[in-house]
Amino acid sequence: MNPQLWALAVAGIVVLAAALLEFARSARARRAALICEGAPTTEPYILYFTGDACTVCKTHQEPALAKLEGVRIDKVDAIAQRDLAESFHVYTLPTTVVMCSNGRALHVNYGYASARKLEGQLTEARNAVRAPATA
Amino acid sequence: MVDHSALKVNQTGIVVTVLVAFVGSFFFRPAELLIPVLAIVLLLGTFVPQAALFKQLYFQVLKPRGIVKPRPVEDRPEPHNFAQGLGGVFLAVASILLVPFEIAGLALALLVAVLAFVNLAFGYCLGCQIYYQLGKRGLIQV
Repeated sequence: MNPQLWALAVAGIVVLAAALLEFARSARARRAALICEGAPTTEPYILYFTGDACTVCKTHQEPALAKLEGVRIDKVDAIAQRDLAESFHVYTLPTTVVMCSNGRALHVNYGYASARKLEGQLTEARNAVRAPATA
Repeated sequence: MVDHSALKVNQTGIVVTVLVAFVGSFFFRPAELLIPVLAIVLLLGTFVPQAALFKQLYFQVLKPRGIVKPRPVEDRPEPHNFAQGLGGVFLAVASILLVPFEIAGLALALLVAVLAFVNLAFGYCLGCQIYYQLGKRGLIQV
């Protein structure tokens, strides 16, 4: 096999390994973040971790959040409020956390989350709180 | 304010140059010389914006002729410059590796192209995330 094909194989393996590591890392961080609690509210809301240096936040995440009408979005500067960011294991920006009205974190999205995805998670958060009452 | 079209042209330039070097090296090994040339272009462009080849191509040719439309975004240029510099450093290391370990050099250059493509296609900038991590740890002033 010539060097170019070896190089392609090596690069492919590195990309695959990085993707698997990223998957494992986000799953571990998500598990740890989901035990976090905030103050109870009347409706689910979103914690939005961002920063001055985050481009995707401005180009993708903020337009997506703007599509969610009537949803409370708490914008958090991940650098200025490092402790809060650490408690949700924010290792990448943007990060969005869908909080149930009982103050429990239900979904943590590391990286860009579309409006449709967030809408689905908010619906789940509304149902998650209502479910025990109807059961 | 940052013109994101300039960034996209820059990323396209990186991907195309690495691919030309890689595919070209199948038939003509000196095509690999494009990798050190690209490293110099990126590093020079990081410290002297006027010398950023792909961005100048955008500002001097593509934008005035309306080939690529401008897309100004409220943004900071530092993370992008950092990412570009990081790409330049990795390509410089790849260039050095090309001599004793051709496979490692080419693989590293391909990884830089993959990351530039991911940024171009999906807007995910690994260099910007590293910039954020360094800022969070207080290693650079964010």
